Amino acid sequence: MNKLIMFHARECPHCKVMMPLVDKLENEEKVKFEKLEVWHDEKNAELMRSYRSDIAPKCAGQLRTPTFFSPETKDVLCGEVPYEKLKDWAIKQR
Amino acid sequence: MKKFWRCYVCNDIHYGVKPPQVCPTCLAKNAYVEISSAEAERISGVTKTTMTRVEFRQAIKKFAEKNEFQVCSEKDKVEMLLDGVFANEQNQGLKYCPCRLSTKNFAEDLKIVCPCNFIIHETYKDKENGECWCGLFVRRMK
Repeated sequence: MNKLIMFHARECPHCKVMMPLVDKLENEEKVKFEKLEVWHDEKNAELMRSYRSDIAPKCAGQLRTPTFFSPETKDVLCGEVPYEKLKDWAIKQR
Repeated sequence: MKKFWRCYVCNDIHYGVKPPQVCPTCLAKNAYVEISSAEAERISGVTKTTMTRVEFRQAIKKFAEKNEFQVCSEKDKVEMLLDGVFANEQNQGLKYCPCRLSTKNFAEDLKIVCPCNFIIHETYKDKENGECWCGLFVRRMK
């Protein structure tokens, strides 16, 4: 199982919406996200910036939150999305 | 390249590629002379201003009034976003969008200072229910 990352921000409403969906997905499927807050943790921010060339082209040229990212496949899912879309994306990374 | 310009009549400061033909403050014509950034900083520094959360809320409401968008009506959402905007100002120096991360390239990051130019973004442009990326501004319902 590839490691999956959810880059999120403490005061981001989209992240707040997605967090319980991520929890639900982790309970229902064999997936696990490393949840990394980026505005209040510089180490996490630097990690997200280090993937900028992979993430930005798929997120309108920016580093947006939430961003779901697979360091192995470099695949990206960006923003507030329906549960099924998140699920399909996560399963695809297996 | 953008430069600093000073109105020789009223000391209005303009930052832009070209000086305004008419000073918006005193209405003098052809009144701007190019100055250095140090001069501009010295002159603008005479007026020390701060902006509280209440004042920022008023400022963005006023900003939206004459536009086709408005501040989101979901109070809790707005408060969360303002928490982020002000945390970013305190920690990073500018009111960066709480839903995007800075790149550490200052010029690049000016694009994510709130309010940003969200009119051109895919989340707003040509969308009936368009909103800025974070959702602070939403298209006004007709």
